[in-house]
Amino acid sequence: MIFSQRRRIATASIIAAGALVLAGCSSSVNDSAEGASAASECGTWAVAMHAWNGYTASAQVVAEVAKANGCTITQTTLEEAGVTYDAMEAGTIDLIIEDWGGGRWKEWVDRGSVVEVGDNGNIGLIGMYVPPWMAAKYPDILDSANLNKYADMFKTSDSGGKGAWYEGPPGYTTIGEKMISANKLNYKAISTGSEAALVDVLTKAEANKTPALAYFYTPGTLFIKIPGLEQSRVKFPANDWSDAAKASGLTDYPETALKKLASKKLMDSNSVFATIVKNFNWTNADQNSVSADIEGGMKPAEAANKWIAANPDKVKAWLGN
Amino acid sequence: MVDGKSSAGAGGSLASNPPAVSVRGLWKVYGPNPLSIVGSPDAKLSRSELRAKTGCTAAVSDVSFDVAPGEVFVVMGLSGSGKSTLIRCLTRLVEPTAGEIFLDGEDISKATPQRLRELRRQHFSMVFQHFGLLPHRKVIDNIAYPLEINGMKKTERHARANEVIELVGLHGYAHAFPEQLSGGMQQRVGLARALAVDPQVLFLDEPFSALDPLIRRDMQQEIIRLHRELGKTMVFITHDLSEAVKVGDRIAIMRDGAVVQIGTPEELVANPIDDYVANFVRDIAKSHVLTLRYLARPAQPGDDIDGPELAANIIIRDAAEIILQTHKPVRVIENGKVLGIVSSEDVLRLISGVA
Amino acid sequence: MRHFKKSHLLIGVGLVWIAFSRIFQGDQTLELATSDNTAFTTSVGDVAASIRGNRTKSAAFIYFFNPIRAAINGFVEIIRSIISVPSGNSIIPVIGWFGVVAIVAFAVYATSKLRTALLAVSLLLACGALGMWQFTMDTLAMTLASVLLSLLFGIPLGIWAGLSDRVLKILTPFLDLAQILPTLVYLAPLALFFLIGTASATIATMVYSIPIAIRITAHAIRNLNQSPIEAALSMGSTPKQTLTKVQLPMAKQMIILGVNQTVMAALSFVVIAALIGAPGLGKPVVDALIIRNVGQGFVAGFAVVFVAILLDRSTSAAAKAQEGFIPMTSQQIQRGRIKRGLAGLAAIAAIFASRSVLSLAVWPGSINIAQQVEDVTNHVTKWVTTNLYIFTVGFKDFISNWVLNPIETLLAFSPWFVTLSAIVLIAAVIGGIRVAMLATGLLALIVLSGLWHEAMITLTQTIVATLLTMSIGIALGIWVGRSVRAERILRPFLDAGQTLPAFVYLIPMLGLFGPTRFTAIATGIVYSIPVVVKIVSEGIRAVPVAMIEAATVAGSTVRQIITKVQLPAAKKAILLATNQGMIFVLAVVVIGGFVGSGGLGYLVILGGSKPDLQGKGLVAGFAILLLGVTIDRIAQASARRT
Repeated sequence: MIFSQRRRIATASIIAAGALVLAGCSSSVNDSAEGASAASECGTWAVAMHAWNGYTASAQVVAEVAKANGCTITQTTLEEAGVTYDAMEAGTIDLIIEDWGGGRWKEWVDRGSVVEVGDNGNIGLIGMYVPPWMAAKYPDILDSANLNKYADMFKTSDSGGKGAWYEGPPGYTTIGEKMISANKLNYKAISTGSEAALVDVLTKAEANKTPALAYFYTPGTLFIKIPGLEQSRVKFPANDWSDAAKASGLTDYPETALKKLASKKLMDSNSVFATIVKNFNWTNADQNSVSADIEGGMKPAEAANKWIAANPDKVKAWLGN
Repeated sequence: MVDGKSSAGAGGSLASNPPAVSVRGLWKVYGPNPLSIVGSPDAKLSRSELRAKTGCTAAVSDVSFDVAPGEVFVVMGLSGSGKSTLIRCLTRLVEPTAGEIFLDGEDISKATPQRLRELRRQHFSMVFQHFGLLPHRKVIDNIAYPLEINGMKKTERHARANEVIELVGLHGYAHAFPEQLSGGMQQRVGLARALAVDPQVLFLDEPFSALDPLIRRDMQQEIIRLHRELGKTMVFITHDLSEAVKVGDRIAIMRDGAVVQIGTPEELVANPIDDYVANFVRDIAKSHVLTLRYLARPAQPGDDIDGPELAANIIIRDAAEIILQTHKPVRVIENGKVLGIVSSEDVLRLISGVA
Repeated sequence: MRHFKKSHLLIGVGLVWIAFSRIFQGDQTLELATSDNTAFTTSVGDVAASIRGNRTKSAAFIYFFNPIRAAINGFVEIIRSIISVPSGNSIIPVIGWFGVVAIVAFAVYATSKLRTALLAVSLLLACGALGMWQFTMDTLAMTLASVLLSLLFGIPLGIWAGLSDRVLKILTPFLDLAQILPTLVYLAPLALFFLIGTASATIATMVYSIPIAIRITAHAIRNLNQSPIEAALSMGSTPKQTLTKVQLPMAKQMIILGVNQTVMAALSFVVIAALIGAPGLGKPVVDALIIRNVGQGFVAGFAVVFVAILLDRSTSAAAKAQEGFIPMTSQQIQRGRIKRGLAGLAAIAAIFASRSVLSLAVWPGSINIAQQVEDVTNHVTKWVTTNLYIFTVGFKDFISNWVLNPIETLLAFSPWFVTLSAIVLIAAVIGGIRVAMLATGLLALIVLSGLWHEAMITLTQTIVATLLTMSIGIALGIWVGRSVRAERILRPFLDAGQTLPAFVYLIPMLGLFGPTRFTAIATGIVYSIPVVVKIVSEGIRAVPVAMIEAATVAGSTVRQIITKVQLPAAKKAILLATNQGMIFVLAVVVIGGFVGSGGLGYLVILGGSKPDLQGKGLVAGFAILLLGVTIDRIAQASARRT
């Protein structure tokens, strides 16, 4: 049987190999397919997908505009910052449409693998939020000086006898631990893994009228879903920093103009996609309208195309026309 | 089979032609610094004493013997007596610690790996207790394996394999796979494979121990037949004394790695060297082993001394019918001289175990 | 008598530990703020930064790492362009979906039998219907590439280790380490040298699957029936002839089984690989985790399971076809050849069709039930999380307050030297002086790394998850071991639990328990129960029937049989299961960093994205390794000593 078995495998592989050769020679549907020529003009580009809803909105809109102009776009989900910069250096990623980190990409720019393309028009603001019912019931909680007074309410089985301070996910700009120690707060920073977890914490807290103190940020659609959340931000003294690594922790997060980063390969090309990336610029409201649709259950591509259809002028400007 | 054993020489001594296999002072010691045991006073210790004192075990301890061309030499012992290690030392599947092994005058123990392979390929071959067949090859390709590794072409080696297949009674099984055969048939394949290269010497390591008793008897007959037809020198390992007696010209009895006694079956039964051997051979039917020489006694007054003549090397069992039917004692003749006489009473006394 | 004493000693150590912990609570815990570095982590970070800085300059990168990266990328891309991504200037791959289905069907049919081929086809079509065609093809391409490369290195090494004791001795510690090391840990060091993308993912998958190929091949060679090999030697075979004509053909079936295991290992890496940018089914799973779409996660998860079943069944069927050597009649051979020839022609026709008819080239969008599956799953999950939330949170709080927090206090909030001494003493009682010395060394290294506190937090979660896993796993194991019906009922769940990526159920766990340590623990439990049940039930089944018959005849109740006969007799299996369970749990607890479990895993993840914490992340990975080896050695010693 060993012989017949070997022969079987041999026959199988010969036929398979033959099939591949024949397939390679034969004319196929590809050659005449539409879009093939356009694709060669713009090229194939990879967009990094980061883990928050607003990012998805921006990236998807850029991707849809590019596709409509003959580009082939792949989207790869990656953790923020270092991981993605390394991917850009490796040539597997060409675009980050929204980066919050103040210059943490410098090393990669210096090595010539990442290019800072400028602002994307969105202004980011991070803060610590309580559910609106708390802000209504305990108005003074919104002053950071009073946080310790309420610390006991925020205790959970995971917070080691202190108040639970739900910190942003690993890749995000976070200085929670510094804020806790600098302001001598009786809280323990608990890492959440994702935007989804933060959304979950705040949504459940508001719905069940339970206490919670969590990291969140604008632009983002959670403020639409939880009315009053935007006003339920705990205020720390005004900020005095732009580089999170150098922040004292005494002060709040600053407003940040969000950046576009691209691979050198993309920016050196004459591709339409480079033009789109260079010119892409929209407001927090623009982004929120798309993310709201996505939150509402629309597929990202669908939501993006809906916005594109409604805003032809803005899209036209990105194309440099 | 009246002529019984075509013994290589009377009385267990070898004929004048040089031995096919000759073993001198062979040792196999397992444990730390094994060479230091060889020839030292410790070598005289019992196994357990040696182990306690040095941490070494002598699996084969100072073994020497000769095997004449065409002889079937049986090494017989209980499990753990070192017989399997011994045969593996002879083929160097196990490297001996010390000693010499001559095959047709050439010292195998000094052969280079290259030369050893040549010897294995052409001069001797081996049959194993668990057959050692290649499960992924058909019978014919198993038998042709030694020819194949020797570089013989496929048609040639298949032709030769087919010859051997006929020889060992495997006709019609050439294209079966080993696992389709019974144990007895598998061992026929093992035998055929060993015979394929037409070796001078055949080493058989308990070839029939794994078989059912009935099949074992068939195979013993088969080996006797093959020996008669081919006349190969054989070194045959067994733990079964009746098998040893049946196939062996001479038998070496091993105990704790050492050879206790070497002799023809008759010698072992007639003159066991110690209680161990005596105990061993006790259950053997003497009449099946001993020859008339053993019973021959000087004529007493009153004995008829004109009975028929019989050769001294006839086994008693085979002579019994004649003796019992003759009403006179037979005269036992060796080299033209009368050794003595054997009467019906002598035979009956032996058979009934009184003698 | 000795055993009695041992348990007393352990209780004694525990009491002293608790006493010291109470007295020195909170002192010298070596806590380190997340954003802080120690001198050591800073210097590791500097080394990492200089490695990054040298990527474009140093010879090591230009002549070694970068070419390897390029070669592996190229290799994977070739396979992808055949079945997955548009090749060249065209908009479809070389072979469209219909052609791929035909090739798989033909390959499986030719190596095993028609039924398996039909199963393979339906599983592939199911992946397509779930809207996962291209991801599935990417996963197949990635798996194929890494398995081929793994076998290319693994089988020769395995053969070598099978033939040479010395090679096996040298390789064994590495193989052990690879088995203990949680997969998340070696992503960062690999990314440092091979950056982020397909190459890193492929190499990471290889690191994970090569040890399996090596181990099984070596085992196959070593455990052959020695008698034919001795016979071959006695006939004067050269070592090479013995290997090629005797050992390899005899070991073939076992080696193919090794291929099966290698394939499964490579596949189980698919989701982790997505974390460093590999294409494939891991991508939608990770996406779903991030945007918390349970439904999408499950759709992708189902596709992973389908691919797993497809690859498992077809490779193990190929292995089974090697069993036995019953010759076919020449008529059968002839007929078989004709059938395969026809099937081959059909496959070729299908490939042509898949290149000339668009609907056979690109999976038709109209055949897509993903949305329905997503909706159903989302509804179920939503119902469960909203209605059971009170209970699940209650349970979580109960375990956290009464088990997790006390153990964490003991381990992580005692002075480090108290915890360290206590663990070493336990190791000494369980495993003897050598294990204790090893534990001292490993734990001291963790202290030196500066991440002691985080390591103890991870250890706490590992211990708690293992305790829960074992209490559930042993109960299920006994049930499965005693009842064929139970086995039949549980088997599909256990199989699915082993192939479904842990990430997939991390999402509903997050819904049930929120971003807490317990989410990671619960995920770890689900992930490790199958292996525990498997080992325990095998142990129970291995108890000799005679023993049970004797106990039954003596009038034992079922309960007595279980507690007095089966469990003691299966003790070794249970300890082995504990060891395996712990290693599995550790792997997931570390992933728990994604859902808020903190500890070393969180630092590893953090190090990946925050350049200033990269050194700390690498050190945390190393600390996980040290912790894993410590756990493994102590657990193994306890299994050995019974």
